[in-house]
Amino acid sequence: MRVPLGWLRDYINFDLSAEELVDLLSLHSQEVEGVERFGVLDGEVVVGEVVEFGPHPDADRLHVAKVDIGGQVVQIVAGAPNPYPGARIPVVLPGSTLAGIGKIKRARLRGLESYGMMMSERELGISDNHEGILLLDDNYETGQPVEEYFPVGETVLDIDVMPNRPDLWGMIGVARELAAILDTDFRIPETRFETGGEPTSDYILRVEAEDLCPRYDLRRVSSLRSGTSPIWLRRRLYAAGMRPVSGIVDATNYVMLETGQPIHAFDAGKVRGGIVVRRARPEERMTFLDGRTRTLDERMLLISDEERGVALAGVMGGEDTEVGDETTETLLEVATFDGRNVLETSARLGLRTDASGRFERGLDPNMVDYAMDRVTQLLCEHCGGRAASDTLSHYPKPVKAWEVPLRIERTELLLGTPVSEDEAAKKLRALGCETRPEDGKIQTTVPTFRRDLRREADLIEEVGRLIGLDRVPEELPGVFSPGGLSADQRKVRLLRQLLADLGLAEAITYPFGPDRWESDLTGDERDSREPIRLQNPLSAEARNLRRVLLPGLLDAAARNRSFGVQGGALFEVARVFEPDPPSAEFREAAIRFRMTGETGGEVPDAASLMGVSETLKVGAVLFGTVQPAEWNTPETRAGFFEARGLVERLVPGASFEPGVKPFLHPGRSAVIRAQGSEAGWVGELHPETAEKFELGGWPVAVFELDVAFCDPDPEPRFKPFVNVPAVGRDLAVVVDSHIRAGDMLAAIRDLHSPILAGMRLFDLYEGSPVPEGKKSVAFNFTFQGRETLTDEDVNSEVERIARRLEEEFGARVRSS
Amino acid sequence: MDATERIEKLKTEALSAVAGAGSTAELEDVRVKYLGRSAELTNTKKSIGRLPAEQRREVGRAANLATREIEEALSEHAARLTAAEREARLKAEAVDITLPGTPYPKGHLHPTQRVIDEVVDFFVGLGYRVAEGPEVETDYYNFTALNIPPGHPARMMQATFFLDDGLVLRTHTSPVQVRTMLAQEPPVYVIVPGRVYRRDSDPTHTPMFNQIEGLAVDRGLSLAHLKGTLAAMARSFFGEKTKTRFRPSYFQFTEPSVEMDVSCFVCGGSDPNCKVCKGAGWLEMLGAGMVDPAVLEEVGYDPEEYTGFAFGMGPDRMAMVRYGIPDLRLFFEGDLRFLRQF
Ligand SMILES: [Zn+2]
Repeated sequence: MRVPLGWLRDYINFDLSAEELVDLLSLHSQEVEGVERFGVLDGEVVVGEVVEFGPHPDADRLHVAKVDIGGQVVQIVAGAPNPYPGARIPVVLPGSTLAGIGKIKRARLRGLESYGMMMSERELGISDNHEGILLLDDNYETGQPVEEYFPVGETVLDIDVMPNRPDLWGMIGVARELAAILDTDFRIPETRFETGGEPTSDYILRVEAEDLCPRYDLRRVSSLRSGTSPIWLRRRLYAAGMRPVSGIVDATNYVMLETGQPIHAFDAGKVRGGIVVRRARPEERMTFLDGRTRTLDERMLLISDEERGVALAGVMGGEDTEVGDETTETLLEVATFDGRNVLETSARLGLRTDASGRFERGLDPNMVDYAMDRVTQLLCEHCGGRAASDTLSHYPKPVKAWEVPLRIERTELLLGTPVSEDEAAKKLRALGCETRPEDGKIQTTVPTFRRDLRREADLIEEVGRLIGLDRVPEELPGVFSPGGLSADQRKVRLLRQLLADLGLAEAITYPFGPDRWESDLTGDERDSREPIRLQNPLSAEARNLRRVLLPGLLDAAARNRSFGVQGGALFEVARVFEPDPPSAEFREAAIRFRMTGETGGEVPDAASLMGVSETLKVGAVLFGTVQPAEWNTPETRAGFFEARGLVERLVPGASFEPGVKPFLHPGRSAVIRAQGSEAGWVGELHPETAEKFELGGWPVAVFELDVAFCDPDPEPRFKPFVNVPAVGRDLAVVVDSHIRAGDMLAAIRDLHSPILAGMRLFDLYEGSPVPEGKKSVAFNFTFQGRETLTDEDVNSEVERIARRLEEEFGARVRSS
Repeated sequence: MDATERIEKLKTEALSAVAGAGSTAELEDVRVKYLGRSAELTNTKKSIGRLPAEQRREVGRAANLATREIEEALSEHAARLTAAEREARLKAEAVDITLPGTPYPKGHLHPTQRVIDEVVDFFVGLGYRVAEGPEVETDYYNFTALNIPPGHPARMMQATFFLDDGLVLRTHTSPVQVRTMLAQEPPVYVIVPGRVYRRDSDPTHTPMFNQIEGLAVDRGLSLAHLKGTLAAMARSFFGEKTKTRFRPSYFQFTEPSVEMDVSCFVCGGSDPNCKVCKGAGWLEMLGAGMVDPAVLEEVGYDPEEYTGFAFGMGPDRMAMVRYGIPDLRLFFEGDLRFLRQF
């Protein structure tokens, strides 16, 4: 809501700067989004009379005027061609400051002295018209300050009205609110107008869709000349953010801005028979004020005459009955429509208007009377109208004020500060409520324009903000239960911390992606189940919910590559989504549960009715040079083992088994198993997948794990040890190249050696002198006995190991 | 030359040889030459028995004395040489200490996560538990249970992503509050971090962002408790000197509703050109309020017996303010030039 302060002063006296008002409103009512200034900020504008006007001798597009500004003739250079000798025009004097332009100085323009400036409507803040200089009529006396006729500057507060306060969508409501804050009075303009126009009852009014139209009033105003509105009115509309149009339209808009109540004026001469408020017929078409023809349906409320639609209720008028310059009489519609219906209609048509925004909040039907009289008054005063003495009104169920009791002890409990009964009652009365004490409560009668005040808590909020929230002290509740992270939450925290400590960077990526993600990652073994789809994605590129974290991380990697990053490592801990639809017999139960929260009857538990299973995953991508070489360390490039090493830290005891994911390199990937289940996968990206994600030719290694299987910091358990020295021993064997190291390590472990305390695979070598098709594998063992081990003890154990490797893998011990 | 004179001469010779030795190896040669098994002095001592009885004592004494003196000189000089040699070795071992150390890579936690962790830890310290809930949520939990029935304009304001058949991507973490209350009796003290989704995409809105909500329901909770709790959090997060203020606001599921501003932690309101608060001196930090009685009733709590407060904040925005990040969109691009700064 844009509130021009000059206009606000019609209703309330205040002596506050814009900044002070902003603070007051922000702390007691609504947030103020901004302060805007129009026209002359500082200085003087006088009425000038053009004495001479002609072209600039040295510039094609400029003109020179001699202007009498009251006993003094000055020379002014102008761009606009429309002044003429004898015209009265506003002249801003040098030294003045204009909004958006700055300080006006004496200047020389193409060699000619220019004293001040002749002003357009835009420069005066009257409209955005900058076509020419504003021409004033003869009522403006030469030499007089323009300020004596209308304000030349304006300050506008842009108030961000909360959706529960439609009463603040009008100047009167804002004035009432400010008066309550300042503890002062405000006034509402009286309405007086001449009747004696043609009777409204020549037309009929029939409301067929009563459920969608609580009130509909119609009044005829005749003998109109539309013309142009007076400057003071036009500049108010403009400052409030509307475009001045014509006398009739401006009057309806002015009263809407004043009261919050939208008003529509039909050209009565074009309305056939009268007004029928009904639902549109299927496929019914109407051409709107914006010139576009739209197809309606039977859910929409239509204002029609006896033949065709003339307005879409609460949204926009029709072109056929639009008022224009030739309009001489009008039918004024002041009505209340069902807010939800207006909201849905404007959403269906994608047509939101100032009016629909107001109706959809739910307006007070009792506002209709005042708005009708007020707009009638303006049409009579400014457009020569004569009002009918009768008004057709459909208002079968008048809304009456309601009562809400307020307990002062409840008020004090919720606000946490003492409040006296007198004080609370006074604040409520300032808002337009009536109060009386009853049974120890404040019985409050709420005016119908405050539809948001229905319950005690609503009243308490009003009292709280008006006494000032700064009165509320700071206290801390006494919490008698221990807080903390659950074991799973602590695990996630450790997991993230660990990956960061290992040098990875934590990313947060969007969970929605294109269809491509599915096909690129599933390959041939495409799942028959569809991913979960958004019905209204922002784009086709973001329509499916991810089933793996991978694609978002790959996109991030590609983005980094495109910006010249040589490589890196990203991880994310986030959810993936799988469809988990309930069986057909529970479909209806599922929808009922989702809409109402009800799980009654023979239905499974709530979780199974959700239809989606969410799993928390940790995923990582290592790409390019993860760690560049330093002078004393080699570079680390993304590869299977770099990824696998991370997995080993996250899932102690994980086993790595062959298993082909279509998006991974078939020879450099593994399925991770833990606790007897599949915990995730790890591997290098399939070169084709890398191509699809703009990572072609780069080493990329990835893993993804179900967080449930991760244990970044397993609970330790003490194992006793003895204080005898450990003995280290190396063993190198030669085996066929295809023998897997993991199998050899497992075989050694299977020996359950009583003295083998640790082992490490420390060298792997192929090439001369190892024969073709063979490789050398070197182990380092640590032996530890209960007593000091002899050479024989150790040698015989190493021999036992070598023998096992020979039996199982054909390993030959390499003599060193 | 008699024997004692000879011994004296050997001693003098030996002492000067010791003094002349330039390394421990040379010194060892000197020792072997003068005190070794076949050294003259050694032989002299061995042959003392063959001397006339009256000379034995004197020669013996002189030989022992000389030996001891040479040994002392040797050991003194050896110590000196060892020290000098160690010093020379250490000098030779010196490295260019201006070379960088072996890298232990620093990883990076996402700035939003850093904020979430910090806020969560603060509330855990006050006795709150952490509650979580699904990101795909039902229409009922996301809206209706929060006093936003079908057709309510607030549904339009929240630009919802819809899925099939009554499911949405949650537009706020508030449904977790409802789920928590349905699952337990009061008192409730929970903090709820999570990702939320709105169908918005422009320079200041991303279709996904993060929220942290808190909920407390207990006997006798008031706006003062809310204010004290949030003010303490603001001081913990922005510094002890941080001031806070409440402004009235509107949320469908709280009544009264407030917004909390914190004093600008950069300028404290003293700089009209401050980039962080734009001269206002205050930063909008979060929305809050007393839980609407309709919400309490919906989950089966008696609003006459229990009252509660709830609050919600945007950790992405808090991170922007705290770390001076100009653009929200940076948060969700996985760009290492961004992430590596945290
Ligand atoms: Zn500041």
